[in-house]
Amino acid sequence: MMSKHWLGKVLMGLALLVGVGLGLSAQQPVHAAEKTYTIGTVDSFEPFEIPNNRGTYTSKNPGIEIEMLQQIAKHEGFKYKLKVMSFDATLTALQAGQIDATMGGMSVTSERKATIDFTKSYYSSGVVMAVAKSSKITKLSQLKGKTVAVKSGTSGAIYAKKMAKKYHFKVKYYKTDNTMWSDVQNGNSAATFDDEPVLRYGIRNGMKLKVVTKAVDSQPVAMGVKKGQNQELLAKLNDGITWMKKTGRMQKLINKYTKGSASSADSSSQRTIWALIKNNKGALWDGLVETLELTVVGAVLALAFGVILGVMGIAENRLLTGLSSTLIYIFRGMPMIVLAFFIYIGMPSVIGQKIPLFTAGVITLMLDEGAYVGAIVKGGFEAVDRGQWEAARSLGLPYSKALVKVIMPQGIKIMIPSLVNQFIITLKDTSILSAIGVMELTQTGTVIISRNMEGFKMWLIIAVIYVVIITLLTWLSNYVQRKVG
Amino acid sequence: MDKQYKVQVKDLHKSYGQNEVLKGINLNVKPNEVVCMIGPSGSGKSTFLRCLNRLEEPNSGHVYVDGYDIADKRTNIDLVRQNIGMVFQHFNLFPNMSVAENIMLAPVQLKKMTKEEARAAALKYLDIVGLKDKADVRPTTLSGGQKQRVAIARALAMKPDVMLFDEPTSALDPEMVGDVLGVMKQLAKEGMTMIVVTHEMGFAKQVADRVVFFHNGVIQEQGTPEEIFDHPQQEETKSFLDKVLNV
Repeated sequence: MMSKHWLGKVLMGLALLVGVGLGLSAQQPVHAAEKTYTIGTVDSFEPFEIPNNRGTYTSKNPGIEIEMLQQIAKHEGFKYKLKVMSFDATLTALQAGQIDATMGGMSVTSERKATIDFTKSYYSSGVVMAVAKSSKITKLSQLKGKTVAVKSGTSGAIYAKKMAKKYHFKVKYYKTDNTMWSDVQNGNSAATFDDEPVLRYGIRNGMKLKVVTKAVDSQPVAMGVKKGQNQELLAKLNDGITWMKKTGRMQKLINKYTKGSASSADSSSQRTIWALIKNNKGALWDGLVETLELTVVGAVLALAFGVILGVMGIAENRLLTGLSSTLIYIFRGMPMIVLAFFIYIGMPSVIGQKIPLFTAGVITLMLDEGAYVGAIVKGGFEAVDRGQWEAARSLGLPYSKALVKVIMPQGIKIMIPSLVNQFIITLKDTSILSAIGVMELTQTGTVIISRNMEGFKMWLIIAVIYVVIITLLTWLSNYVQRKVG
Repeated sequence: MDKQYKVQVKDLHKSYGQNEVLKGINLNVKPNEVVCMIGPSGSGKSTFLRCLNRLEEPNSGHVYVDGYDIADKRTNIDLVRQNIGMVFQHFNLFPNMSVAENIMLAPVQLKKMTKEEARAAALKYLDIVGLKDKADVRPTTLSGGQKQRVAIARALAMKPDVMLFDEPTSALDPEMVGDVLGVMKQLAKEGMTMIVVTHEMGFAKQVADRVVFFHNGVIQEQGTPEEIFDHPQQEETKSFLDKVLNV
């Protein structure tokens, strides 16, 4: 029958589109020319790594390790490219050969020595316990039965795990410093363990915590390369570190971030809501643009996917209707965050190539929102009176012509309010993609707060931006509906 | 099949699950013949009519229209349907198009007519049903009788050689019925082959060449209007006519 023919073409076209998207984005070379190294680092670990409000390390005070690397590279005469990821991911990427070396306030432990060749140490950091400013807790023994917040993979986490049995407390794991600290500040967790310089930096920048113990488990901090690999780079780094120490450059750098001018990100005069908006307007604007781009591209693809699912759903062929219901069931039933992780983190190991963030985000939206659109489209077509089909078919119109000329125009009118609603939900759902690190509005907020610790004011600003955009969209959609109706 | 018949039905069976609604129907319709089908509701007459253009799929038997076996799955049903006009109880006009566009749709899509040719033809058929001035309004603004006459014009625009009517006046207010029946009488006079499911006994008496009485999924009795209405042979026919004529 005709209908299957053109349906097949549309499906093929869509598959091709996604395929081309993947292919194009995969052309960026991972390894660059000679003497340019790829160095992995973490998305924020103050004062070692201090991202600017766009999540990159291009500001004047990017952190101890970033500045150290700048000086060493210049002195040793090599170039490098930074790859920013979570701390866990740097360790995996190093072993997979995706990066040549890694840094991120990494402690030298005997466990890590099995797979990593460390450089000379340039800092010594110990784990301390911090509690909310108003808290009366000063000793580990007071933690019995309480919850402690730590960042996964850090030496603070290793220490907490070690002590949990002895002092009978529970351990809760976080991915970013600022959410973890907020949790302690708000009293949800009784305490946190973290490297002393990191905690002190946070406190200096407005986190309402206090350090209550002396540094323990003091461990040297160093960069690392994969064991037995990149020995040339290792030698250059060691030479550079020795040079910096000998010339006093290292101490000067550390002082700058722990005592000096760069020890706090913003002065307190800049902490009104208006000042926060003014200081971060570039980053907020970029985040908003990313959110809108994701929404528009995601919604268009979701509409295409949804229409295909909907048309399949009302087909006379049982195989097609079954396939449609199954796809709708799977993608509606799966939490979007799981789908995002599956596509961005799970799929590359299966298909053998990386999926760029934006592409992964858009595919996630297409599948998840598309399933909802599919159900709406199917319902809209089914809501058209059966007699309309019979009248069109009895005139001799084939299935596809009856669908396009008679059923679709009536069905679309029925669907429009639900589709508009789904579009607004799509905009809100883009925030879920912050989980895989897409720099949309929500993730922008997370990064800004990791610098200025202004959780309340910043989330208020972000929330207002969302509400304003959604209000504008609602007005627009009401206008469109009046026009169509 | 026999070439002298426009429509020939042989041993047609149709069931919904366990419920057999057509229990072996045989019927031959000659060119230019007007056949009216009467009978109690649930007797199978509408289902039978819908089998004639495969809106319902028969379970077994043969339905020949213009020599094509409609019950055969290999038949290109879309092509055969172009020659079979159908008018429904609830009109089923397309609300997303104007009256003229309703009529133009199939000729433009299927007969490769230009819009101008199709519009000229649509106006001609609207003139026949007395609604030329309504060409550019939406169907929703029309009365029931006007809608049904547009539906007839829409079917006629495909120049069918058989017309099927499924209780065309049942959903109309009484004062609208006359207009629709008038158009149908005109069609009959011009020699259209028509198969009509109806409760309008007056129309059947006056216009039909043959009246077919359905009862419990079989044709209980058939004959000229005089034979059926004045001298019914079967008990079921008599009892049905008693009920509908002596209200």
